[in-house]
Order: sequence, then C-alpha cells, then structure tokens
Amino acid sequence: MGSIGKSFGTAQVLRNADLRLDAGEVLALLGANGAGKSTLMKILCGIYRRDSGSIQLDGQPVHFTRPEEAIAHGVRFLPQEVSILPDLSVAENILIADLPLKRTWHGREVDRATLNTKARELLDRLGCDLDPDQPLHQLSSPHKRLVEIARALAGRARVIVMDEPTAALAEREVQLLFDSIAKLKAQQIGIIYISHYLDEVFAIADRIAVLRDGVNAGHFDAATASRGEVLDAMLGTSVDQLYPPRGTNADEIVLDVASLSFPGALNDVSFSIHRGEILGVFGLLGSGIDQIGRAVYGALGPLPDSRITLNGAPYLPRDPQQGRDSGLGFVAAERQREGIIPDLSVAANITLPFIDRFAHFATLATQRENDHVQHWIDRLSIRALHRNQPLRLLSGGNQQKVCFARWLVEGLSVLILEEPTRGVDLGARQELYLALRQWTEQGLAVLLISSDAEEVAGVCDRSLVLDRGQVASYFKGGSSPAELLDASHFHQENHT
Amino acid sequence: MLSLLNRPGSGVALLLAFYLFVAILFSTLSPWFLSFDNMMSIGANMAFIGLMCALQTPLIIAGGLDLSVAAVAGLSGVVVALLHAAGINIAVACLIALALGAAIGSLNGLLAVRLGLNPLIATMGTMSVIGGLALVLTGGLTKPLMNPGFNWIGSGRLLGLPVPLILMLLVYIALGWILARTRFGRFVYAAGSNPEASRLVGVPVERTLMTLYTLSGVSGAASGLILAAMLYAAAPDAAGQHLLTVIAAVILGGTSLFGGRGTIWGTLLAVLLLGTLNNGLTLMDVSSFWQDVTRGTVLLLAVGLDQIRTRATGA
Repeated sequence: MGSIGKSFGTAQVLRNADLRLDAGEVLALLGANGAGKSTLMKILCGIYRRDSGSIQLDGQPVHFTRPEEAIAHGVRFLPQEVSILPDLSVAENILIADLPLKRTWHGREVDRATLNTKARELLDRLGCDLDPDQPLHQLSSPHKRLVEIARALAGRARVIVMDEPTAALAEREVQLLFDSIAKLKAQQIGIIYISHYLDEVFAIADRIAVLRDGVNAGHFDAATASRGEVLDAMLGTSVDQLYPPRGTNADEIVLDVASLSFPGALNDVSFSIHRGEILGVFGLLGSGIDQIGRAVYGALGPLPDSRITLNGAPYLPRDPQQGRDSGLGFVAAERQREGIIPDLSVAANITLPFIDRFAHFATLATQRENDHVQHWIDRLSIRALHRNQPLRLLSGGNQQKVCFARWLVEGLSVLILEEPTRGVDLGARQELYLALRQWTEQGLAVLLISSDAEEVAGVCDRSLVLDRGQVASYFKGGSSPAELLDASHFHQENHT
Repeated sequence: MLSLLNRPGSGVALLLAFYLFVAILFSTLSPWFLSFDNMMSIGANMAFIGLMCALQTPLIIAGGLDLSVAAVAGLSGVVVALLHAAGINIAVACLIALALGAAIGSLNGLLAVRLGLNPLIATMGTMSVIGGLALVLTGGLTKPLMNPGFNWIGSGRLLGLPVPLILMLLVYIALGWILARTRFGRFVYAAGSNPEASRLVGVPVERTLMTLYTLSGVSGAASGLILAAMLYAAAPDAAGQHLLTVIAAVILGGTSLFGGRGTIWGTLLAVLLLGTLNNGLTLMDVSSFWQDVTRGTVLLLAVGLDQIRTRATGA
C-alpha cells in the first residue's frame, strides 16, 4: 500500500501511509487510538474507499470498493469482536460461504460428510483438533477465533488482518492462537496483526510498523527493536515510564474482607485494603477475577455469608445501590455492555451515580452539574467536542475516562476497577494510571482487578493472585509479572 | 439532500417542514382548513390519542412498550358508563376508572419488568384480555353517558380552547420538564440506553420502568374518559383502533424503539401532523379507508428517511 490518504468530513485520518507485507510474514501494526490503523486496514479490505494512494497485490494494482472484492482476492479482515453463528456447527461456520451440496430425492441438501471432511482439513492446517459437529456456542473464545481463521482459509485467504485478536483472551489461550499463526506463516500466508499489547507483538511479529496521526512513524525489525523505541514512535514523545511511581501507604484499613464466597467462583477469599493504596488482584480466566470485584460491590446480589468491614462498620453486599451508598465505586470490565450509557451525554454519564448531589429538590442544578463535569473533563483530558456530546461518539479510551470520572466525588472510599485499561490506547492508559495515583494520594483506596500481569505488577502497591477461586499468594510490596504468572499456576497448566 | 439530513436535530426539523407543507397544501385546497374552529377541532380530536402518546414516549425511551393502552381506554370508558348507570357519583366513577388503569399498568409492569416477559407479548396479552372484558361487560353495545359535568371534559371550552386540548398540553409540558430537568428523566434515558450499565451505577432501572408502565395505564384510562365525554357514550371498541396511531406517532416523533433516544416534543409534533392529515383528508372528502393508507405511508417515509440519515452520519 503506498501513500494512502483518507478524510472523513474535515478530519484527515490518513496522510501518505505506506505498508508492505511479504508472504509468510507477520507484520504488527501499532499506533495509539486514532492513529489511523483501523482506517488503513478498512481501506485495504474494501470497507472504506481511499482518497489517494495505491494498493498492489502480487504486483498488480487493485482497488477494492466492496469487502466482497477483497475477499475474492484473498484479503480477509477479522474484526475485534468474533463474528460467528452460535447455533451452527464448527464445520458449518467454517464453510458457510460455500456449503457443499448433494442431490437427494427431495432436492439439494447440505452434504454433511463432505462438509466435515473439508472442515477437518482446514482445521488441520491450523493444528487444531476441534470436532466439526460441535455447535459454536459450546466453544471457548480462542477456539471461536480459530474457527474464524479457518473460515478465512476456506476462502483461500492470502492476507489475513487481525484486529486485536487477543482482546478477549486470557494469556494461556493466547498461545493457542499463536501456534496457529505460526502454522499460517509456514503456509506462506501474510498476516497483519493489530494489538495494544507490546509483549504479544514482540512474541509473534517479524516486523513492526507504527502509525501516528495518519503517517508512518517507524518500521522496526521485531528481533532487534527495543520496547522503548517502539513506544516512542507510537506516542511521539519519549515515554520513560508507562507506570507512575509507587505511593506511600497509610496503615488505616478501609476495606477488610475477612471471608467472601460466591458459589462456583470464589471460595473463602480474604484481603484488606489500606487508605491510599492500590491493591492488585491478578488471575487467569476462570480464577475468580471476574467475580471478586462485583461480589464486593453488590452486583452479584446479596451475599449474607460474607464477612466484610468497610470503614470500620460491617458491610453486607446487597445490590449496586447499596454498594454505591456505602462508599464503593465500580468500573466493569465490559465497557460497551456494562459501562457506558451510549445515548446519554458525557456530562449525564459522569453525574449519573450521584445525581442526587446535583439536584435541587426535584430539579437538576445545571450550573453545579456543568462545573463538576467540566472540572473532570479538564483534569482527565477527556477528548470530547462538548460535554453534551453523546458518549457513544467518543473513543474507547475517552469513554473509559468517563467511567472513572463518575466515581470521583467526595466520600468515595474504595474504587473497584475491573480490567481498567482493556482496549485503551497507551496514551490514555498512562493518563489513567497517573490519575489513579493522584487520587490514592488523597486517600482513595483502589482495588484493581486485571488479567494483565504487567499492569498489576506495574501499578499496584500490593497484590494478590487468585487461582480457582482462592487466594494463591499475596505479594507485599512489588511483584514482577513473572512472579504473578507463576503464582497463578500459568506454567503448571501449560505443561500438563 | 443528504448533507441537509446530516445535521443534528434534522429529524424534528424534517417533521416540522413536512407539517408546514401539509398545512399549506390543505389550506389552499379547503377554505375551512385554516379557520380557528377547525384548528381547535384538530386539537380536540387528537387530544385523547396525544395523551396516550405522551406517556408511551418515556416508556419506549426507557426500553418498554405498552400495546394495551388503547384497550385500557376502551375499558375505562365502559366502566365509567356502567358505574354511572348504576347510580354512582360520576367523580367517584372516574377515580375508579383511573385506579383501574393504574392497576392494569402495574400488571403490565409486573409481567414485563419483574417477570422479564417480552413487553410486546406481555402487553399484547393484556390488550386482548382487557379488550375482551370491555366487550363482555357491555355485551358489545355502546353505552350512553350523559352528565353535564363529565361531558365538559370532552367537549367543553376554557378560554376559548377545547378542554381536552388543554389537558393534553398540560401533560406534555409537565413531561417535557420531567424528562429534561429531573433525576427521574435521567433515569428514563439511562435505563433505555443501557439497562445493565445503569443498574451497575445504582440507577433504579426496574422501579423506573414500573412507574412508567403504571402511568401508561393511567394515561389510557384518562384518555378513555375524555373520549367517552366527547362522544356522550362509551363504546367498548372505540379506542382500540387507535393503538397503531399511538405507536406510529411516537416513532414518527423520533423516539427509538430500541430505547435511549427520543423527545416528548417530537411526539407532540407527530400527533399534530397525524391529526392534521386526518382532518385535511376528511375536509377533502377522502374516504377514511384512504386515510389509513396515508398514515401508514407517512410513517414508513419518516422512519425510512431517519434510517438513511442515521446511516449517513454513522451516529
């Protein structure tokens, strides 16, 4: 792809972006949110039309105006969200575009034997031994991903673009995907890999291309480049440290969980958080990290058997209203489904949990609300055209800042965060970490729950590791990502 | 054309433009159309429908739907007529009818919110039950309802304006204020836009919807009273045929059936537009069968244009 340009209205998203992909190569495409990665890829795959520039495939100029044309030329786009048909079988999902048919006495019907054989062959190419007859909804997320890739292979794909393919995967599951990518490389298929995770990129990519503000900001050989170089290229300014320095803790305990259980997920978990501290909870998928935060907050319903003390008084989780009114705040992992109110304005989203504080009898006090909102928009540098813009129009990182800002009011004791920076670009991540540290210095306690070992090791003052619903170990003071992974039985499970 | 449609708020602007177009068209075709009396008669005739639309709008914004509202109107008129015929004080009879509306609304809420039934199915069920009950109670016959005080609600005038029109406008003003300026209004939009996220920040999603279903039932009952007062009689099936108009007006006014978006003023404009269309076509002696065709076409056009606009902006 050469000198690609693209504008939306007055916003020029791409200027002179270049990209080269060789057969049998994994090219990582990096860039902060809004750098133009997705736009460039959508142009390649015929979803958007380019304003300028050229694309050559095997030396031939091509111009795809519809996704179907790109697919016919073997160029496939796998979006971030898995697009599968949950009620159909593995084989049907793979060959949906070209189901083998056979003649029977009542017309034509799907030839199941051929279907399964063909699907089997394609799955073999990925080194994957799924049962072709199994319905998709029974599969785990990484296997759904593999089915998607097999579908691309069925269409004789030669270039596969993967947009954050591991966003919903736990680290153990990522390996499954990486093994298949290695197999694809050996079959001379070129892969463009978009990701926010530097670790992954260095593990899988041959070359790294960085976009910034719609132009190329650097090309690196993954074998020789350093993380610092790549980060600098992405962010423009030199990022010495993604994570802020650690704070000093007070001794006063804010939240003391003596015993917390939830059927099938948590078994007698105990921990405590001090004022001004960030306590990390690390674990793999299914370890209980999906439940621990919301159980305390009350989002899982009443837990009468729990023994929890909050600010020195007994606290029983009941429902989110009770959690909120007791001084707990909660930011859920699934931002789109459980975080943002897409149609409400940025302002209304921020004031929603504590709307009572902005009401004067029955009427909302517009001025007070606007002042509060503007304060946090400035402090967190939330990039919105206006505070009355609907939240759905903001980028993921800015939406997440809004989800944080909701809880930043007088009287909040503990902020519970699930996967606080999932799908958030590096620039916004750095801003969020820094802001978190500032609030803890003012006495806020934070429970940071994450499946990103780097994040927990980098941000948290103390941490604990969950494994199969129980606390596997506590780390006082710092911990390294490797220690956390070790404690989570990551390695043991991989070897058995 | 598309760039014009891209502007924010163009949905309402488009509706207003269409309304003016229709009004000018009819005023050139019929000398009576623009007269004060005719304008007032449009308002009075649409008021009982507008009242049902007024509460249906926040209900749909919050992610609910009430198909039984017009059937409640029918039953409420019948109940008042029967109670009045039995010698019960008309004011007491009206209160009983309104309470009945609230009870049916709560039942809808119970089914759709607490039991989690699909609101389309749940309220279709109650619609059928209530419509049937109204027929059972009257044997399918229209019951006369003459009471000067009561009939004033439907056909009286206050300061030269029809009473039903005044009642309807008061409800719109109150709701406009509630939706834009109160905590409850925020909850309505939040619940419809993303119920799970709303619940997680402590918004009382279920209570908000329960309240709206109950109020929708009350609006149905009130609207039945106005209709019976206008007609000097209660017909069990008089209001049921207007259900489609109610839903059409709310959607035409820009409220999203998926919840989260819409305004009460868009609905008011749509109510007036549909009323004007009916009135103009009647003045021009177009058969009422053709009026159904027109109303449906306008609805499809408006929703189709809105869809094109949404796709163009990607918003």
